[in-house]
Amino acid sequence: MIYLDNAATTFVKPDSVRRAVMHAMNSYSSPGRGGYKYAMDAAEMTFRCRERAAKLFGVDEPEKIIFTFNATHALNMAINSLVSPGDRVVISGYEHNSVVRPLYRLGAKLSIASAGVFDADGMVSAFSEHITENTKAVICNHVSNVFGFILPVERIADICRQRGVPFILDASQSAGAVKINAKALNADFIAMPGHKGLYGPQGTGLLICKDGGEPIMQGGTGSNSLSYDMPGFLPDRLEAGTHNIPGIAGLLAGMEFVSGRSEERILHHERALISLLGNELKRIPKIKSFYSEERDLQAGVLSFTAEGVPGELVGEKLNQMGIAVRTGLHCSPLAHSTGGTIETGTVRVSVSYFNTTNDIYALVRGLKRIVKQ
Amino acid sequence: MINYLLICRSLTYAQRVAKALENSGISAVVMRTPYEISSQGCGYSVKISEKRFSQAIVVLKTAGLSPLKVYTLYSDGHVMEAKGK
Repeated sequence: MIYLDNAATTFVKPDSVRRAVMHAMNSYSSPGRGGYKYAMDAAEMTFRCRERAAKLFGVDEPEKIIFTFNATHALNMAINSLVSPGDRVVISGYEHNSVVRPLYRLGAKLSIASAGVFDADGMVSAFSEHITENTKAVICNHVSNVFGFILPVERIADICRQRGVPFILDASQSAGAVKINAKALNADFIAMPGHKGLYGPQGTGLLICKDGGEPIMQGGTGSNSLSYDMPGFLPDRLEAGTHNIPGIAGLLAGMEFVSGRSEERILHHERALISLLGNELKRIPKIKSFYSEERDLQAGVLSFTAEGVPGELVGEKLNQMGIAVRTGLHCSPLAHSTGGTIETGTVRVSVSYFNTTNDIYALVRGLKRIVKQ
Repeated sequence: MINYLLICRSLTYAQRVAKALENSGISAVVMRTPYEISSQGCGYSVKISEKRFSQAIVVLKTAGLSPLKVYTLYSDGHVMEAKGK
C-alpha cells in the first residue's frame, strides 16, 4: 500500500523505532518505582528521551519535557492550565477539534483570528486585531492538518509576548519537520504528538512547559507520596500513573532519527513531494487543490477536491488502487469553514520522509483514472 | 567507607544532578532514598563518595542544582543527616 496519511500517523517507522520498542518490552519495567536494574534502566532511558527532546526543541531543562499520550492529551493539559470557564481565548481559524472541543467544554469565549489559506500576513493582522487586554490565552496551530499551511507563529508569538498574553502552540503537524525553538518562541506550552513527525509509536506525545502547569489527572508519581496533592514540581506534577515505556523508548529512537537527518532535510524532502503533487494536480481537470508555490507557506500536507466526485468516493477508489489518503473533515471543521470546504470536505494527502516521487506519480495516475470515470 | 546521599525532590531531578556530576568526572549513582530518611514518602537520591563531596557541591552550585538535604551513608547502612553540608 502507498501510505499518504502521515498527518494521521506516520505508518512507516524507522527500523530503530521498532527495535527500541521491542527492546523496551524485554528490558524495562517502570521508572520512579523500584530501585532495581529494570526500573533504573527504564529511568535512564526516560531521562535520555527528555534530554533528546530538550535538545531538539531548544529547552534548557529536561524536566520541562512532559510525556503525554498524544497531542490531544498535551493540549488539554495546556488549555486546562491557562483557561477558566468564560475566559476569552483567541485561536486561529485552522484549529483542530483537540483545541476547539476542550475550549467549548470550558465555556470559553472564542475569538477566531482568520485569514485565507496561505495568507500569512493576513493571519498576523487578524491575531493583532483580536488579541486585546481581555485575552486570557492565544492558541495557534503551527501547520494546518487540512491544508498544510505553515502559520506565522513566530510573529504571532511575538505579539503575545509584547502584550503579555500566554501562548499555546499546537505543533502536531510541525514537530520533526518545521524547526521549533521553544526559548525563542517564549510559548507557555508547546504540544505535539510523538507518533507523527517524530516517528514514534502511537500512544506518545510531549508537552513542553515554560513554567508549570495544572494536571488533568491525579495519581501516583513515585514522589512526594505522603502528600495527597500532586507534587508542585515538573515533570511529576503533570505525569500521574505509569508511563508508556515502550512508547517512550520508540519516541527516543524516532527523535534520534529526526536529529540524525535534520528537520530541514526532512521538510525539504516533504515539500519537494508536495510541490510535485501540486503541479501535477494543476494539470488534471476538475481537481481543485490547495497548493502554494511559496514553499515557506506549506509543509507536507495538501488537500484537494474533485468536481463531481465526492471526496469519500475518491478515497474509496484510491484505496482499491492501494493508495491510502484521508477524506472528510479531518477533525477540523473550523479549518474547513475557513478554507471554504465545510460542505464537501477534502481529500487530504500527507507525506513523510519515507514517501517517494513514485508514490506521488502513482497517486496522480490514480486520480486521472477516477476523474475520467 | 563513607558516602554521601544527596536527597532530591524527584527521580528526574536526581538524574539531572547525577548527569551534572558525571559530566564533571564525579561518579554519581541514582538510587532510591532510604525510607527512614525520606520526608516525602518516596524519593530518589544521588550517592557520591566522601572524597568528591566538596567538588560535587561546587559543580552543583554552578549548574544551579541543589539537593533537598544531604545525608552521610555509613558502610553499615546507617544514615545521618550531614548538618551544615
